[in-house]
Amino acid sequence: MKVKVPKTERKRQRGGRVTRILRRVIMIAIVFVLMALAGMQILAYFTGNDALKTPGNGVATLITPLQSAFSSAVNWVVDYLYTLKLRSNIELAYNELKQQNEQLAYNAMLVAELQHKLSAYENLYDEVSENELMNPLVATVVGRESENYFSVFNINKGSNDGVEPYMAVTMDGALVGYTESVTATRSVVRAIIDSEASIAALISSSRDQGTVRGTLGVDGTAMCRMYYLPVDNLPRPGDLVVTSGVAMGFPKGIPIGTVRESTRGMESNKQYVVVEPLADFEHVEYVVVLRYRPEAEDVQGRDDTGDLTYTPLDTAKPVPTVQIGSDFYQLAPTPEPTPEPSPTVIIGEDGEEIVVTPAPSSTGSENYEYQIPSGGTDTSYGFTLSPTDSPTPTPPPLDMSVEEDE
Amino acid sequence: MLKKGLKIFVLTLLAYLLQATAAVHMAIADVAPNPAMAIIAVATVCLGRKYTFVMSLAVGYLLEIMMPTIEYFHILLYPVCCMLAALFFADKSERRLEEERTTGRYHRQLNPHLRTPLAAALSVAVYEGVHLTYLYLGGVTLDSGHISRAVIDVVYTMALAGLLQFPIRKWLGVYRLRHAQ
Repeated sequence: MKVKVPKTERKRQRGGRVTRILRRVIMIAIVFVLMALAGMQILAYFTGNDALKTPGNGVATLITPLQSAFSSAVNWVVDYLYTLKLRSNIELAYNELKQQNEQLAYNAMLVAELQHKLSAYENLYDEVSENELMNPLVATVVGRESENYFSVFNINKGSNDGVEPYMAVTMDGALVGYTESVTATRSVVRAIIDSEASIAALISSSRDQGTVRGTLGVDGTAMCRMYYLPVDNLPRPGDLVVTSGVAMGFPKGIPIGTVRESTRGMESNKQYVVVEPLADFEHVEYVVVLRYRPEAEDVQGRDDTGDLTYTPLDTAKPVPTVQIGSDFYQLAPTPEPTPEPSPTVIIGEDGEEIVVTPAPSSTGSENYEYQIPSGGTDTSYGFTLSPTDSPTPTPPPLDMSVEEDE
Repeated sequence: MLKKGLKIFVLTLLAYLLQATAAVHMAIADVAPNPAMAIIAVATVCLGRKYTFVMSLAVGYLLEIMMPTIEYFHILLYPVCCMLAALFFADKSERRLEEERTTGRYHRQLNPHLRTPLAAALSVAVYEGVHLTYLYLGGVTLDSGHISRAVIDVVYTMALAGLLQFPIRKWLGVYRLRHAQ
C-alpha cells in the first residue's frame, strides 16, 4: 500500500535533491578548476611553456594586493608588539639602572664617610706622633652644648686617664679649647670661641703677646678677639696667632687662628684684632688632650769648683768723657759692652795660673714647644685650601676727632 | 551553502596569508611554525576530507605561484600531507560508521579537540620528513640540528592548531551544530 505524500512535501524533497546535486556540481567544478590550474602549473615546469603559467600569473595578480595589505597589517601588529616589548625592556632596564644608581650613591656616601674618618684618624695620628712629649690623649666628643653665647662640649676622658683642668685640647693641629671641669670618666671642654675663654697668645710673626677671647657671647659669631697687644705694632691680616705658653699650662706654639682683620688702628674704640679660629667647630668629633704640665727645672750645680777661687772683676761702666777744647761739654761715646765674657786668668793657691771661662746659660735640654703636624690644620678632607692672601698694608687711621664748638 | 562556501574561501585565504606573511614573525628559536597546515588540520576535523583536499590544493597552488621555493613541492606536498592526516583523523562518515558497527570493528573516535593537533602534527611531520629527505638526497649530512628544527616545527604547529581550533570551530558553527544534535 502506497502512502500518499503531500504535494508540498514532494516539492521540498525535490528541492533538496536539486540543491544536493547543485552542491556536488559546484564542488566538482571547483576541484576541477583547482586541479586544472595545478596541472597547468606542473606542466609549465615540465614543458617550459610560459603560456601555461598565464592562469597562475592572473591569480598572482589578484592575490598580490590582498597579500600586500595583509602583510602591512601583520607588520603593523608586529611593530606594535615589538614596541611594547621594547618599552617593557626599557622600563625594566630603567628600573635596574635606578636601583644600581641608588646602590652606587649609597656606596659613594659610605666611601665619603670612611674617607672623612680616615682623614680624621690620619690627622689625629700625625698630631699625636708629632707631640709625644706633650703626652697626648685622643678623646671622643660625646656631648655638645652649643648655645648662642657659650660653646662647651664633653669628652669621654677624665681624671682616670690623667686629664686635669686647664689642659689644652686640639684638633687637626689647632687649638679647640681647654679642659675646665674634670670628672673621673669625662671632662668638659670650653671652646676658644666661648666668650668665657681667655688664652694667652702671641702673633707668630711679630711675637707680640696678648690675650685671645671668644666672641660667641659678644656678637654671636664663632670668632676670637685678641686684646692687650702693644700699641706700636699693627698685625697684618693672615698673621698666625699661637699660644704663648704663659699663664695656663699650655704648650707654646699651638695654632689658634689667623688675624682676619685689624681694625685696631682704624677705630680708636676697638682695641683688639679679630682672629679667625683654625679649628672647624662645626665638625668636632675627635680631639687630642695635651696632658702637658711644665715642671720647674733644678739649678745645675758645678762639681769641679772646689779648687777654684773666684775673684770679682770690675765691670766696665761707661763714664762720660769731657773733651777739653770744645765749645760745649760733650759726652764721649759709650763703649760697647763686651758681648761675651772673656776668659779670666786667676792664680790658684799654689801660684799656678788658671784660665776660667764662664759657662753659657742653660737653654734647657728638652724642646717642649708644640709641633704642628704636617697638614694638621687642613680640615678640607680631600682638597687643598688656597693660600692666605698676601697681607695688604693697613690704611692710616682716619682722623675721627670732632672739633668742639667754642 | 553559499555562506559555508564563503567561509571556506576566507579560511583558505587566511591560511595562505598567514603562511606567507605572519609565519616568519612567529618564529621561536629561529623555527617558524606552519599556520597553513594548522588551519587545514582544523578544517580537516571540522569539515572532512573533501574540504581538506580543496583547501590544501588551493593553499599549495597559491604558495607555488607566489613563493616558489622548490618546484612542485608546495603544490604536491600540501594536498598529500593534509589528505594523509585527514585519512586518520577526519570525522568518519555515517556510512562508514554503520559499516564498522555491523562488522564489529567499531572504535570510538577520539575527541575532535585532540584529533586536530594530531592531524596538524602528522601533516607537518610528513612535510618536514620530505624536506629532510630531499636535503639528504641532495648530499647534505643531516645532524641533530636538522632533526631538532623539524621536531620544534612539529610541536609548534601542533600547539598552534590546538589554539586556533577553538575560534575557527566556533566561527564555522561546529559547536552550534553539535548542540542542535
